[in-house]
Parts: sequence; structure tokens; C-alpha cells
Amino acid sequence: MSQAETSVQSGSFFSKAHEWVAQSLTQQNKISAYLEPLIQMAVPGWTTEAIRSKVIQVRPETNDVYTLVIRPGKRWKGFTAGQHLQITAEQNGTLQTRFFSVSSAPAHFRKTGLIEMSIRVQEGGRVTPWLREAFAAGGICNLTPAEGDFVLPAGNDPVLMIAGGSGITPFRSMLSQMAATGDKRDAHLMFYVRDEANALFKEEFEKIAAQHENIRVTFMNSAEKGVFSAEHIQEVCPDFAERKVMICGPTPMIQLVRGVVSEQGVSAENIMFEYFGAAPIELDRADAKDAYVNFEKGGVAAMSSAENPVSLLELAEQNGLKPLAGCRVGVCHQCKCTKKSGVVLNTLTGQYSDTGREDIQLCVSVPVNDVVLDV
Amino acid sequence: MTTHLPSADTLESFHKDLDEIRDDIMAKVGQEDANYIRKIVRIQRGMDLVGRLTMVAGFYHWIFWVIGVVMLGCAKILNNMEVGHNVMHGQYDWMNDPHLNSREFDWDAVADGNSWRRTHNFEHHTYTNIIGKDRDFGYDTLRLSDDVPWKDHYRFQPIRLIVLMLMFEWAVAYHELFGERIFIGKRHKEGKLPISHAQLIKDFFTKIRLAVFRDYIFFPAVVGLFLGWPMFFAILGGNFVANLIRNLWANIIIFCGHFTEEVHTFNEEECVNESRGQWYYRQILGSSNIEGSKVMHIMSGHLSRQIEHHLFPDMPSYRYMEAAERVRQVCAKHNIPYNTGTLWDQYKTVVARVIKYSRPPKKTGEVANA
Repeated sequence: MSQAETSVQSGSFFSKAHEWVAQSLTQQNKISAYLEPLIQMAVPGWTTEAIRSKVIQVRPETNDVYTLVIRPGKRWKGFTAGQHLQITAEQNGTLQTRFFSVSSAPAHFRKTGLIEMSIRVQEGGRVTPWLREAFAAGGICNLTPAEGDFVLPAGNDPVLMIAGGSGITPFRSMLSQMAATGDKRDAHLMFYVRDEANALFKEEFEKIAAQHENIRVTFMNSAEKGVFSAEHIQEVCPDFAERKVMICGPTPMIQLVRGVVSEQGVSAENIMFEYFGAAPIELDRADAKDAYVNFEKGGVAAMSSAENPVSLLELAEQNGLKPLAGCRVGVCHQCKCTKKSGVVLNTLTGQYSDTGREDIQLCVSVPVNDVVLDV
Repeated sequence: MTTHLPSADTLESFHKDLDEIRDDIMAKVGQEDANYIRKIVRIQRGMDLVGRLTMVAGFYHWIFWVIGVVMLGCAKILNNMEVGHNVMHGQYDWMNDPHLNSREFDWDAVADGNSWRRTHNFEHHTYTNIIGKDRDFGYDTLRLSDDVPWKDHYRFQPIRLIVLMLMFEWAVAYHELFGERIFIGKRHKEGKLPISHAQLIKDFFTKIRLAVFRDYIFFPAVVGLFLGWPMFFAILGGNFVANLIRNLWANIIIFCGHFTEEVHTFNEEECVNESRGQWYYRQILGSSNIEGSKVMHIMSGHLSRQIEHHLFPDMPSYRYMEAAERVRQVCAKHNIPYNTGTLWDQYKTVVARVIKYSRPPKKTGEVANA
């Protein structure tokens, strides 16, 4: 993504001229976008927007976690351990896009040309269960360049990694990269798992820890030990105050761990964390079913009460925003905008949206949970 | 003219029947629709490229020029109607394809897509055939109902119809600006549109420059450079004729959708606080369909299913044929008129209507509109 932005900024006379001519001749920003449907006849799934890649294998890890083994296309430039990317695949005519962290090491990619993404099946999810079935025999997907700054901090500072469930994926990438390159940094991983059966990559981590003195891995069984607490950290990693703390896991877990380690005296600049998808809106709410709506461009977060839900358009207007709107009954599509995350209910069709990025009509959409809008 | 409304019960049950059709069909939308629109885009791109190349082969024999021009005209028709009109309605937004997105797509025509989206999707589809609200009714230049007050210049409207046909893309381009009386008459005050007049004028000229550069400068010049001046003019003329073919066809199809003999008009008071059933009813009475071959339906962008398009503007066009069969049955059940006929029959009544209202109304009170 950052690459695309820089190429636009460095917009020379030539690239502007190309865009103008492309607009004139093809009504597209790039000539290649005009040719895309024709190129797809020879190369199915090719797009101008992302890098065509091959899913080689779907490897089961536990009951509800699987790993996609992917060979990225030639234009894919590699990544730093801990980064994530977007994967897009066509599901019944719809291009579905999701963010996932790469769970394998950059060294593995250099050696084999393969990357891995480990994915938990979301209960009732539209995409994660489907991906596993759809790519069982391999297939074509599209990847974006890797992005994100949840990576090992520069220098050689010791780190404490705290992972919950499938939040282990960026740490697997980091630790196997350290093992592969002989990195001598001191790293300690505390991995919270639901129970023994859900201890992802257990043998792999134990092997790495056994072979490298600087890497320690402690499995924390939540069924026995409960959720993260100050006692845990004091007992398992007493020198935590001298470490950079990296956290990845479900949203409530991240919020809990951040709170506890700050109380224990770790300063904010030494705490790094990564949410999956958009960061949640951290505000108090009267009812657990109330939803917060973040109008990103307008810089406004507003609450939608579960008792008296209003459309996103009305909510925006009540909060002083003036999004473009027309008929207000779902006919004209003028108020259409991009929802970045969250679920909305379409009051015209009575259908619930997907959780990911997609276009919605503000005037007939009511938020169901926290929603981030590009408005 | 006031339209006689069916009873509230009929409207309510009519409303439910139509919602059921919409829900049934929308539940089926998926891979098939995506494959269909992608196929149409491929055919359109192929015809566009091959048509332009074939026109160049007119250097060897004029017949190639003719074939090329017709292909290019057809490519423009597909681009504007089956792809452009429908994609810009949001019919294929669910595909999440950035190149088939209602807010991103622009068409091969001099009309700016954003301007069209504002007037067409909002004004025309919300206020269909309400005199004074839907400026697509007669495009401000034709008088097609006695509800439009008589002015002397309407005597010449058969000639205006011909000019409008030939210059249709320019009329669409200027439509929103004309509503603001920009360049002609006394300009309206700013503030009714979501963008400023300055921006509106800028977008208007930007799109014209892009379209004119392609058809009347770039392609003629490239060919002329290699094959000489006569070919410069051959390509320029060919592109002009291709645009003309598209203008004529689009205009005929669109006029058959709203201005046939039986199509009703409405006034603002009738539509205040209208129910969903009443809204559906107005859409049906305000539109008419065309019968014909599969190719005709595709080339019309399925506006031959104008009634269904007006009932369900964001249903993928690929589904209008099956929707039509069921809508027709529902109309028959509730005794609601459903206006359809062959292209020729429908267009004859359009021409008759244009001529009929080019004569001053009879002095004696209100005149009923058939």
C-alpha cells in the first residue's frame, strides 16, 4: 500500500500524462485496468490491484485453525517478520478481502518462495470457513504487499512476547526468523492457549527453544491458570520491566494485558500491540449491544443505541457531518460509502453485512456492532 | 392529470408480492451474474479494439471502414448501457470489484459520470415522471403531457426530438447544468447541488476534453500520421458516426421506456407521503417495456425491462428477464396495467405523443391524457 502511495506522490509529468491519456482513451486510471478483462481470459484471476498468487496447500493445525501455504507472484517483494497483508479471493462472484499476518519466516520465503498464513475459523464467519474448503485443492488468490509495523524493534533489546490464541502468528514468524538467522536477541514468549489441544505450533516452539539459549517459550494454559495477570508475568518473566513488550491476540486480551503491564510500570513506548482488523473504539457504553460508529474522515465517533437505532446517515447528520445523500430510502445510491469494518443491517433487504471492507448505503444501514466508516 | 389509485389493500398486497420477487431473485445473485457482466465487459473491450482497428483497414477497402464503425458504435452502446448504466446504478457493487464499482466507473461518452449519477439515480429514479421534479421527463425540451404548460415554441418539438436524438450524449452532459440555467437563461442560486457551480462547470469541460481528445484528435492523428491526411478524416468521421449510432439507439430505447402513449405522469401533491406500494405503482405506470430478441435486450442494457429496472434499480440487469415474467403476473393479478410491446410499436407511440403535444391544448378545462 505504501508503495502505491509513493508512486502517486512522485507523480512526474510522465505519470500524470499517462493517467490523463488512460482516462481519455479507456475511462480508467491505467491502461492495464482497461485490458484486465482481456488479460484474465489468458490468466484467470489477474488484476491490476494486487499480486496474483497460488495457494499450494491447506494444512490443518488444530480443529479450528488451518494454515494456507501460498506461493506469492513474482511482483511480491517479501516482508519483515510480524507484518500482515490482504488476501483476496472470489466467493460466489464477490471479491472477499481479509487481513492476515504471515506466520512463516522471511528466511523460509527466501529459501522456498513460500509463505504461510495461519487462520482461525470464525464461528458464523463468511470467509474464514469458506477459504479452507475453497482452497482444499489449491487455487488462485490475490495478495497485497506486506505492511504493518508490528515487527521486532530495531537494536538488540530483549523482548517479551505475549500471545493469545491465533495472535501467535506474527510471533511464530519472528521466532522462526530469529532461529533461522541465528539472531542472539533475548526473546521470551508467553503463549496463552485455551487448552492443550489448542496449543498451536507446540512442537515447533519447543524445538526452537531447546536449540536456542536466547529464546524461551512458556505455554500458559488458560483452562488451568486463568487469564493474564500481574502474578503470571512476575512469576514467568520477572525481568519484564527491562523488556519491550509485544502483545497480539483477541481485543479484550490486548486491552487486559496493556492495562496490567502499564500498572506494573512498563512505559507506553515500550508496549507494542496489534489488533486484527481495525482497532476497537475504546469508549464506555450504556448497553453491551450499543455500537460505536467511527466516521474516520470526519474524525467523529458516535454511539448508536441498541434501543433506538437510527440509520448511519441520520447518525452522521446528528453529529454534524454532511455526507452526500439523495433519496434517503435506498434507491439512488448517492450516499454510498466504504465500510472498513463492522457489521451493519440493511433495513431495505433485512440482510446483515459481512464484517470486512465493502460498500454500503448509509441511508438504509443500521450499525449492529462497532463500525468504522470512510466518511 | 390525477392517477386513480387502487385501494390501500390492493397496494399493500401488491407491495408484498413485489418485495417477494425482489427477495427471491436477490438471494440468487452470485457467480452467474459476476460471470455475465465480466463477459459483457470482455465483449465490449474486444469490439472496441477490433472495431477501431477494422476502421483503419478501410485504407484497403471502404467496407472495412463501415464494419469498423458499426462495431465501434455497438461497443459504445454496450459500454454505456449494459455496463455503464447498470454498474453506475450500483447493480454490481456487491462484487467488490474496483473496476465495476458504481462510484468509480465512468463511461465512453461526453457526459460526466458523476453528474449523470446525481440527476439520474436521484432525481429521475426517486421522482419518476413527477412533473416539475423529474427533469428526465421530456428533458426540459419536450412537452409530453398536458400537465406541462403550453408555450409557443413547443410547436417545433418534432424537430427538437430529431436534434435531441442526434446529440443525445451532449444533452445528457449538459442536463444538470441546464437545470441550474448555466450558460442559458438566468443562472439559479448556488446551494441546491452538493457541488459548486464552478466545480460543475469544470467537471463538464474536463469530461468533454477527455472524450473529444480520444475520438477526434488522438486516434485520427495516430492513424493519419502513418497513412496520411485522408485517413485522419476517415477515422475522425468514423468515430463521429459511431457516436451518432450510439446516440440514436440510446435515445430511442430510453424514450420507449418513459414516453410511450400509455405512460402516466404525476404531480407533486399525489406523491407526498406515498407508501411503498404507491411508489411501486407509480414506477409501473411511469415506465414501459420493449419485447424482442436476446441481443436486443442486451444492447438496450436491459432497459427493455424498464419497468423492472424502475421497481428494483439495483438488481443486476442479468436478472431483469426473470423478474419481468413474475412482475407481469403480479400486475395481472392486481389488475394493474403493464405496458409492453415491440420496439417498433412502442416507438410509434412515442413519436405520436411528441406530435400530439406539439399542438396547443384545447381551451376547455382539463384534458385527460388517454
